[in-house]
Amino acid sequence: MTTQSSAHSATPPSERLAGFAALLRDHGLTVGVSEQQAMLQAAMHFGPLQEKPIQAAWRAIACHSHREWQLWPDVYERFWHPEKLRGGAKVSGQTRPSRNLRQSVQAMHDQMDATQQPTSQPVGKQAAPQTAGDMPSIGQDEQDAGTPRAQGGASRTEALHQRDGQMWMPQELNALQHLARQITAKLQPRPTRRWRVAPRGQRLDLRQTLRRSVAWGGELMQPAWKIKRVEPPRLFILADVSRSMESHAALFLRVARAFALEADARVFVFHTRLAEVTPYMHRDTPAVQEKVNAVTAGFGGGTRIAASLQEFARQHARAQLNRGARVWVFSDGFDTDEPELLAQALQEVRARGAHITWFHPTRQVPAATALLRAHGSIERFVPLASLADLAAARLVLH
Amino acid sequence: MRTPDPSGRPAAEERLLRERLQGAGYLADEDLATTVWLASVLQRPLLIEGDAGVGKTALATALAQSQNATLFRLQCFEGLDLAQAAYEWNYGRQLMAIRLNEAGQNGRNHNGSGHVREADVFSREYLLERPLLRAISQPGPCVLLIDEIDRADEAFEAFLLEVLAEYQITVPEIGTIRATHIPQVILTSNGTRELSDALRRRCLYHYLDYPTLAREIAIVKTALPEVDTHLVEDAVHFVQRLRREDLAKIPGIAETLDWVSALFQMRYNSLPEDMSAVLITLGCLLKTREDRFLIGPDRLRQLVEGRRTVGVAEKSTEQAKVAA
Repeated sequence: MTTQSSAHSATPPSERLAGFAALLRDHGLTVGVSEQQAMLQAAMHFGPLQEKPIQAAWRAIACHSHREWQLWPDVYERFWHPEKLRGGAKVSGQTRPSRNLRQSVQAMHDQMDATQQPTSQPVGKQAAPQTAGDMPSIGQDEQDAGTPRAQGGASRTEALHQRDGQMWMPQELNALQHLARQITAKLQPRPTRRWRVAPRGQRLDLRQTLRRSVAWGGELMQPAWKIKRVEPPRLFILADVSRSMESHAALFLRVARAFALEADARVFVFHTRLAEVTPYMHRDTPAVQEKVNAVTAGFGGGTRIAASLQEFARQHARAQLNRGARVWVFSDGFDTDEPELLAQALQEVRARGAHITWFHPTRQVPAATALLRAHGSIERFVPLASLADLAAARLVLH
Repeated sequence: MRTPDPSGRPAAEERLLRERLQGAGYLADEDLATTVWLASVLQRPLLIEGDAGVGKTALATALAQSQNATLFRLQCFEGLDLAQAAYEWNYGRQLMAIRLNEAGQNGRNHNGSGHVREADVFSREYLLERPLLRAISQPGPCVLLIDEIDRADEAFEAFLLEVLAEYQITVPEIGTIRATHIPQVILTSNGTRELSDALRRRCLYHYLDYPTLAREIAIVKTALPEVDTHLVEDAVHFVQRLRREDLAKIPGIAETLDWVSALFQMRYNSLPEDMSAVLITLGCLLKTREDRFLIGPDRLRQLVEGRRTVGVAEKSTEQAKVAA
């Protein structure tokens, strides 16, 4: 290649190509021997002076997905034209705010002081967790129960008004998606009333068998068998985005989005009214949070959980809320409706056969009166304040 | 695999391919032309991914047209099986042959023995060829389009591996049928399901993105030569701006062509000043209720005029109009 740096000009092309293939593999591209051979053949076809077609050909050979396609220009430039790259390495996603050494040391000292003197700092002034991974988990809470936690206290920013993904590192998003996949796989599928044709079915599909017999002049030569169609349960997520929950709303919406993508869950947000946000969850846009904010902008004060649940059961999920459906409510349970109304609303959902799981942001089950009365309709309570909580919940959600 | 030619002939061949595609009404950029050319030289299938309406399927049809090759199209869907994709025995005909033989109406059969042997009814004569087998057994050049492979089941994907790697299909009763002329295979995917690594690795890959402004204008002019240049340029500028909006379904080239065609049918030579007239035709571009809601008359005017926000002066004029 004509433009490669002079330092590498003495290296044989096949070795350079092997080095490039190694770099591609480091970036997650599947480039084996066969790909390298094809790349070498392409290079020989075009000749050493044709960089543009060679690059296009190599890209077609080495990339196997859209992610790799997007990654290609950076990796190619880095290897073949390092002189063009200015500055440091590119990092995708948002990074933590940069700190100089003095600030970092100061932050470390502050952290040590805070650990040694748990009560010396007012709760409200404690630094908000930087990323979802920094959020306290149950295990940590149990170890240092005396340490004041960030959750429930004042935060530096309003979580509901942050742009989506701001507090999330790419690896945490991956971990969340992985967890959602695992939990979705554990949601037990159940047989429906419908049947499907299957070669190893237990029952004879008479209709299909007769249809097939037409080819043999009406002789039942090839029987068709059928089995019950098995479908995963429908999942509904209702996230509380009221003022009292604003510091947790970002996490809730992230979790909801992960399940919307993995389990095709329908996602609703509520405080005084209920609104479906499923379409926004499926879109890969940085403005998801803005959209959700826009949906909830006109809502008044308070949290009407019971009314929202009733609206959900009677209107939005009327046809889909069947036996085996899972309804996950993300809320602290503090309702401005009458306490008995929540019990009635949950009973209504439960009567349709749905299983209700209540996710609360606190370590203990909230002591809200409405929630205490509705205890019977809720299958289980699950704390959800961090990824670690969700990982722990993996064992009980099925 | 052809022998390498250092004289720069591949570039000429690639240019020729581009010209031929252009002749068939498809404007391919250099990278895509290189990839298509490479796929034919390396005899590898080409997997094309991209949003709906960017011209994935059109590439295969244009390629077949440009090479005077036969196009075999296999539209994938959930539940697609071997009988619909590769081959099926013509049971009715087999049965008829047996019955005719039994009734003695047929006299003597092929081998003159007077009775039908199993090999007689399980021959190519009784085989119903579906797109994959037809492409494999085609004697001349052909293009095999396996459209929307992501809609097919994983089991079918696994079956495709043999076809795509060896260009052969095994029929247990007959044996292996090998391609006499390697077909040029193009697979398209909208990314609704993740394809297996095994399939991806057997293919060359190209991600087809939305075209640049200049290329889209050229595409529309080629496809609709009768439309006024003014209208084409205005419309494509608008569509390019529209794609930057946060839409649920981004309009592709097919939608642009529909829209320009609609405007042409309504006898416009450029984008109409009256936004309500544009709004009526916007159904060609915006295919969801949310998107229609998002692009109201005000936003539409901003997009047509190429501005991001409504100016203060304009707002005050509007308010004055309302007040009047």
